Amino acid sequence: MIPCIESGTPGFEELTKSDDGTGGIPENSSTLIYGPAKTGKSIFSNQFAYKGLLNDEPCLYITTDQGIKQLESMMFDLGRPIEKFIENKTLYVIDTTSNLSEGKPQQTKNIISSHIDNPTDIMVKVGVGVHYVNTNNTRFRSVIDSATTLLTYNENMLIIRVLKAYLMRINEAGGTPIIIYTEDSADKIVETMLKSMVDNIVRLDGKELTIEAMKGIGKRSSPYQITDQGIVI
Amino acid sequence: MIPTIESGIPGFDELTVSEITEGGIPEKSITLIYGPPKTGKSIFCNQFTYHGLLNLDPCLYVTTDYGIKQLQSNMMDFQWFIQNYIQNQTLYIIDGISRLSGAKLEDTNNVKQSSVGNTSDMMVKIGIGTRLVYKKSNHFRSVLDSLNTLLAFNPDQMVIRLLKAYLRRIREAGGSGIIAYTEGNANQETENILKSLFDNIIRLDGKNIHFEFLSEADDKIYNFKSTYTITNKGLVMKKK
Repeated sequence: MIPCIESGTPGFEELTKSDDGTGGIPENSSTLIYGPAKTGKSIFSNQFAYKGLLNDEPCLYITTDQGIKQLESMMFDLGRPIEKFIENKTLYVIDTTSNLSEGKPQQTKNIISSHIDNPTDIMVKVGVGVHYVNTNNTRFRSVIDSATTLLTYNENMLIIRVLKAYLMRINEAGGTPIIIYTEDSADKIVETMLKSMVDNIVRLDGKELTIEAMKGIGKRSSPYQITDQGIVI
Repeated sequence: MIPTIESGIPGFDELTVSEITEGGIPEKSITLIYGPPKTGKSIFCNQFTYHGLLNLDPCLYVTTDYGIKQLQSNMMDFQWFIQNYIQNQTLYIIDGISRLSGAKLEDTNNVKQSSVGNTSDMMVKIGIGTRLVYKKSNHFRSVLDSLNTLLAFNPDQMVIRLLKAYLRRIREAGGSGIIAYTEGNANQETENILKSLFDNIIRLDGKNIHFEFLSEADDKIYNFKSTYTITNKGLVMKKK
């Protein structure tokens, strides 16, 4: 039996139900969420992060597409306000974008800024972040939104190595990581490497959510919708 | 007849019966297993390893995608428990990736830490490992799972050199090896070179399995095809 954690997306547990009756995202395994642009990949991941926070599982969130302010307002719009989790320090954010647009970003114990074009710095901060979130709870979640932006700003193979190191760190510490990637935004080899380094692959195409691979179950898919409450399967 | 060993995959040995073999994987040969991501290559390797261990064949396992802890937990998903074999030293593991996670693991007699980015260190440890398993039995198995991470950390040429040296060692010692590779992780040229280095090739695409081996006895290529599923007992060939 493979222990799973709740995805936070209504209907996902049902879709991924295995023979022994459990469903969700296999705990301590890694997942790639990919698909064309604007199909709800970030929303899915945010729901995943939020569900964990509600269950007292801390989250290490690495944001490369949106600054912390945008992340907060997006979550608020989805009816999933994160302020209190920032305050109680169960949400740890590495913000690699705010530097670009806002000049001096806010820095606190659990809101850390880094630079999108400095993967070494990001990795150092991931190391600190993992330590921070798993001190209080060995069960935690982690999200990178997204690998696409990292690939745009850096040499591809370097990012593959960084992501591999990231997954190893999270797994070692007992966490469950998600990486988001926009389909076709890098060359085929990079895309294949991403797919081969994770345990589970979920594709969103705007209409169908497809489990292309997941520990313990075969390929499955189901239609989904993006509502004002987020993604519903 | 070409001597073979049991693959450990239900249905595979029956599928590969021919006029020159009794089915299974030709002994003392080396097989490339490849295919798209998530089609069961690692599961195949692990099944092959575990079956060997049950038959008292020692195994040299080079793991570069998963650290030893993940390897154990992946095997446990299928009820394959390897702790005993680690303890009694019939399983020799070279872990090329755990260091990347920041984990501090101590080397033991038969579990060695190395780094995917350091191919010469990997090679030294493979040399020592081969000697150790060879001393235990000249019927040993060898698994390298997989070339993917090696290709991400090194230039293609370097990986091919490492692979050639590795193959030479295993061949000299008479081991039966399997090496996993995810299709599309390198360019076409590298992929072609890779394929040319092996005696046998297995391709998995999630549904179909294709096994091809070159018989030195009559210089013919033998092909076998079937379909398979991944169950909670590992890969299982569909009945014809």
